[in-house]
Amino acid sequence: MARETLLARTLVELADTLVDDFDVVELLTLLADRCVDVLDVGAAGIMLAAPDGDLRVMASSSEAMRVLELFELQAQEGPCLDCYNTGEDVVNQELAIVNGRWPRFAPEALAAGFHSVHAIPMRLRGTVIGALNLFHIEPGEMRPADVVAAGAFADVATIAILQHRASLEAQVLNQQLNHALNSRIVIEQAKGMIAERERLDMEQAFAVLRHHARNNNVRLADVASAIISGTLAPSSLDRPSTRAPS
Amino acid sequence: MAGDRRLRILAQLAGHEHAGGETKRLCEVCAEVTGATGAGIMLMSGDVPRGSVCTTNDVSALIETLQYELGEGPCVDAHNLDRPVLEPDLANPETPRWIAFSAPAVEAGVRAIFGFPLQVGAVRLGALNLYRDSPGPLRDEQHADALVMADVAAQAVLLLQADALPGQVAAELETGSDFQYVVHQAAGMVAAQLEISVGQALIRLRAHAFGNDRPLAEVARDVVARRLRFDAGGGEMDTAR
Repeated sequence: MARETLLARTLVELADTLVDDFDVVELLTLLADRCVDVLDVGAAGIMLAAPDGDLRVMASSSEAMRVLELFELQAQEGPCLDCYNTGEDVVNQELAIVNGRWPRFAPEALAAGFHSVHAIPMRLRGTVIGALNLFHIEPGEMRPADVVAAGAFADVATIAILQHRASLEAQVLNQQLNHALNSRIVIEQAKGMIAERERLDMEQAFAVLRHHARNNNVRLADVASAIISGTLAPSSLDRPSTRAPS
Repeated sequence: MAGDRRLRILAQLAGHEHAGGETKRLCEVCAEVTGATGAGIMLMSGDVPRGSVCTTNDVSALIETLQYELGEGPCVDAHNLDRPVLEPDLANPETPRWIAFSAPAVEAGVRAIFGFPLQVGAVRLGALNLYRDSPGPLRDEQHADALVMADVAAQAVLLLQADALPGQVAAELETGSDFQYVVHQAAGMVAAQLEISVGQALIRLRAHAFGNDRPLAEVARDVVARRLRFDAGGGEMDTAR
């Protein structure tokens, strides 16, 4: 598919969540996946600010990405934090030469196989609610057109998150972010349950959860809740089809 | 700055001495940071014993008693709906609700009342109740503080259930290990191993951490890495040994 078609389709997909039955975790998982599909990056992740002011990892395209983002929060340094604190794009930071900027994060990300990192703020008017992280595996700069596209994705996602109110009402936004953070925890609890019952690792458990949600057109958080309450058995989840032998 | 609000609340919790003990202090800080006249913490789930954790005064205690007896009120709604329930003018509400609860509450001097759910992922423990003796909405800052306070209170409830000692509760709250998703993944695994609820599993993990004097996140990592199981013949089994 042509890149322009993919871009347009992604923007429509993200905007689609503007309608009923909106779920922040769902939207951000879609955003992370589409960044990898469309923007030629190895991994993508999104952090949002919780009501207490701390950033939390909300969605990641892979478990490796998630571990790095969590490390970034623990070390309190890295592209996402800089981007969130300044509200500015952080682009084309080559990990091999930014050791001075992020002495703990850079070696960790290099070791995980990444070459360069980028972060785009999620901002509407004066409010920065989080940041989109994009990590490159291959050497080479992020193309200016991809930076613009990433900004557009981040903007649409931000508008979607903030759209439930006519104005930027702080209490509703905080409540919504709080709810999203809690949904993320529900998903982690369900992953643990699936991993234990089905003998899977966390990445596989998430893949099963997500596959089932998409196949049945239900929200991730709803499938997760059903697993935890026992109304849906891990063994009855739709599995991603194993690759056919070639 | 990152984490300011939570740190400020934890500092207040640590610096606040009270003869009534840990839980009373928790409730008083809830009231202080949110500008409430009084506060209370109600438990309403199957994961922990139903009942009051603490109240700051007689009116807060009455607010809880009424809701337990009548089965309605802001905390009952917050718990059931899974979101904050705010009534800034209980004596003259825009939409009348809580037919049985409102009159005796107003009679006791309650003019504004707010319920915030206590939840940890899928685990819904109950609600934080805040009231004021004059009408008016929470300010944005107070609302944000109440959300963080409800989160801190939920963690504190789990820690108390795990028989943590007073010092351990404060220390564990400060490490903030609950934000580490590995704790929640481990809770899911332990729930499956023991056929218990995720809430009970969160408590078991904490009890194990305290019993072995280890950080909660470290215990959780061992569970997720399958070095530690909870279902090995009545006790925890360290599969690495």
